[in-house]
Amino acid sequence: MEYEAVIGLEVHVELLTESKLFCKCPNRFTAEANSHTCEVCLGFPGALPLLNREAVQKALTAAVALNCEIALHSYFDRKNYFYPDMPKGYQISQYHVPLGRNGFLEVEDDSGALKKIRIGRVHMEEDAGKLVHAPAGLDSAVDYNRAGVPLIEIVTEPDLHSAGECRRYLEQLKSILQYAEVSDCKMEEGSLRCDANVSLRPRGSSILGNKTELKNMNSFKAVEKAVEYEIERQAQILRQGGSIIPQTRRWEEGKQVTVAMRDKLQAQDYRCFADPELAPIELTAAEVEAARRNLPEMASKRAARYVAEYGLPPYDAAVLTTTRGLSDYFEACLKLYPNPKEVSNWVMGDFTAHLSAAGVKPAEASFTPEYMASLLQMIDDQVISGKIAKEVMEKSFATGKSPRAIVEEEGLLQISDQSELEKIVDQVIAANPSGVENYRSGKTKALSFLVGQVMQATKGKANPGLVNKLLVEKLQQ
Amino acid sequence: MELDKMTAAAAAKAVNNREISARELTEAYLNRCTTLNSTLHSLVHIFEQEALRQAEAVDSLVSRGETALPLAGVPVVLKDDLCYSAGPTTWGAASLKNFQPPYTAAAAQKLIDAGAIIVGKANLDQFGLGSSAASSYAGPAANPRDPARPAGDGAAAAVAAGQCLLGLSSDSGGSLRMGASHCGLFGLRPTTGLVSRHGLYTHAPSFASVALAARDTADINLALQVISGYDSRDAATAAVKDGAPRAEGEKLSRSVKIGYPKDLFALLPHHTLSALEPARERYRAAGAEFVEITLPLFREALLAYYVIAYAEASSNLSRFDGIRFGLSAEGANLEEYYFKTRGAAFDAEAKRRVIIGTHLLSQDNFERYYRQAQKVWRLIRQSFATALEKCDLIMLPAVLAPAEAREESQDFLKAYIQGCFCAPVSLSGLPALSAPASEVGALPVGLQLVGRPFAETTLADLAGRAALPFKSPPVEVLSRKEDTHGI
Repeated sequence: MEYEAVIGLEVHVELLTESKLFCKCPNRFTAEANSHTCEVCLGFPGALPLLNREAVQKALTAAVALNCEIALHSYFDRKNYFYPDMPKGYQISQYHVPLGRNGFLEVEDDSGALKKIRIGRVHMEEDAGKLVHAPAGLDSAVDYNRAGVPLIEIVTEPDLHSAGECRRYLEQLKSILQYAEVSDCKMEEGSLRCDANVSLRPRGSSILGNKTELKNMNSFKAVEKAVEYEIERQAQILRQGGSIIPQTRRWEEGKQVTVAMRDKLQAQDYRCFADPELAPIELTAAEVEAARRNLPEMASKRAARYVAEYGLPPYDAAVLTTTRGLSDYFEACLKLYPNPKEVSNWVMGDFTAHLSAAGVKPAEASFTPEYMASLLQMIDDQVISGKIAKEVMEKSFATGKSPRAIVEEEGLLQISDQSELEKIVDQVIAANPSGVENYRSGKTKALSFLVGQVMQATKGKANPGLVNKLLVEKLQQ
Repeated sequence: MELDKMTAAAAAKAVNNREISARELTEAYLNRCTTLNSTLHSLVHIFEQEALRQAEAVDSLVSRGETALPLAGVPVVLKDDLCYSAGPTTWGAASLKNFQPPYTAAAAQKLIDAGAIIVGKANLDQFGLGSSAASSYAGPAANPRDPARPAGDGAAAAVAAGQCLLGLSSDSGGSLRMGASHCGLFGLRPTTGLVSRHGLYTHAPSFASVALAARDTADINLALQVISGYDSRDAATAAVKDGAPRAEGEKLSRSVKIGYPKDLFALLPHHTLSALEPARERYRAAGAEFVEITLPLFREALLAYYVIAYAEASSNLSRFDGIRFGLSAEGANLEEYYFKTRGAAFDAEAKRRVIIGTHLLSQDNFERYYRQAQKVWRLIRQSFATALEKCDLIMLPAVLAPAEAREESQDFLKAYIQGCFCAPVSLSGLPALSAPASEVGALPVGLQLVGRPFAETTLADLAGRAALPFKSPPVEVLSRKEDTHGI
């Protein structure tokens, strides 16, 4: 029998806010345990939660970006359970009325066709702390720095049918949330976490089979692998006439397998009720409208525009829109220097290489769009060669100096003076008789060799067009 | 100067006029705190050093004579559910005996900033669960009027006994209002949102309120002025961000209409009801007119109060897991750790509330109990609002009867029923003042005045004219020693 996989994803995303969800502690990673804590996020008695409006704004932005209906009146519930990383013995979450519901995301299926993945709910909640286990021995300690960090949980309907779809959904989700500046969505650092619910059913059937919940995937690749493995594992069991035990399974990255963690015979009763210490979240239709209006143009739209308006190859458009930062940088350059393909080449090439070497974001780079524009302009004006331009960019990245200042200070101006170049061309011809012979006997490749020699002699400063012209003239004499 | 006849206003005036130093006053009250506490157990902690340090600071401010501090040198006790960073805040629970929160409750800090001296922390029921102040590790707080009976509230007992002049207390289901009634004092539960609850431990956040115990209504007004106002750490105080809306207090200068729910007074035992008759006459003499009102669902409101309070306690007490503070037991695994730690941390009443509250919130019961109680809550608020369209304020009993002599085995349901007139008022969010009204067999009983939102001064002004004045407890009852009165 042929089986169809039915998959739903639950994604937790940390919001990029200044402070935690219910207190003023900084929402930033720090290595020093329990240094970003106060009486509120430690759950001391007598401390009251205070809702961070910035977090509500980010959650609202996420919900509208994911095409959700927004609840103008929603509230926080307490989800009651015990675990040492939960200081209050309950998690403040939105259970009864989520901020957003009935949203969707468009993702390519395995055949490349766009399909809608329905998003059942987007709700706000607070993160828990982290258990730190002693390397040897039984002791555990708790670091509450993460306790109270604002999260949104994004839950899909079971609309995904392959591991590839899952990966593409996550990539799309990440891109949208990054563009909307809701979260940095770094799965490796835990600012995006994903659990997958996987079940199988005979193709064509509408009845859902028993599902398993997969946890502990630390990258999109891991989600894809885990889902793939789980589909195959379940298919094998079913083909052998077995049945799937509903359970939570853990992805073992080292062994590339899922293993059972605990059986899910009955759902835990979290006894959710409205948190009496928090006022409801009230939003106006105008606020929702403003959030919608303020959404940036997302990656897929930008990429399409780059192809249609700028005539860029789809590959360029895809690379340039990988992050909003890079795309914004590209567009800023374009405003100052309106040659899309030229800017694209430089942004995708040297600029990106320097960024990753320096470990900075485009907006933080000392090499600003103004620098990029002036650099490219100097090439056009034949002030410097492309080769020199590469060096200038590298120096500018390192020193923060403007490209023009570097060119002037270091005497990198291109040699376009014909008489000066003629001397060097003569010297090269004299020093390379075999090259000259080869050219004259019809091996045109020899010309590039000779041009190279001239460039070497001028340390790259010679105007390559002029060198070419002079060489051809002299060789044909 | 007779300490047991003082008021906060008089003490502050004497200190500001330098008739007495804050240090002298503090020494005298500290002495009284210590000597009386062996009989009364009204206090669980006395700040001998810190209070003197505070007093010296006040004296130095007064000697500079820049501005008069409204509570200069006034000795105050804080109920031990209000955080004060100078010492432990135990909630009457042995498991929290060593827990010193690093911060001070907003209202307590305001008192300190106004020149008040914190002389001690007052006794209460463990985890604030009850209205007899009898279950803490410090033993039952005795009623200064008759030490064989419970005080109801340690802060009320301390004010009545003259261990201090003001009590900063708390009131969820009525502990301070009932304590004030039992001790013959004035006890105010302010309008929800008027006073910050930052730093107030609570098992029932929906109903918890900071409350005041004082010997007269002038002191209530004085202290309320100091502690009320917006605090960014308690979102509920947003209601008074631009100052308390007090207009309603002004228009009631002449004839005050008191709503009188006759059917509820009819629930009182005969001796209490007849003792309260003369009190009504005094209110008439003070210019009040009585109009009969009904408060639909008032009786059901007591049940709603307990359903919600149980549910909230089951959640609010979850933080006592021994990991960050409080008693911590050994366990072979996590489940056993929780079982042993929480098993040892809680007394019978706390366990009862956690277990029943968990049950009430469970999936099968949520709609039937919790949701239903929320409905009653909404409706009882409506009952009060409707009644207050016909009258300026509502008179209610504060208690069924004076403090009853302690029994060996307390029936918890009986204790709950004692709160039948106070807990429903807590659901209303309205200001309520418990004021001395009468005596039943030489024991005080109070009446409750419930006003419109932010009409605290109206209540206090009327009670100031019509309530019985505070009566110091008989000297021989208070002390087995002879040298403890006055300086």
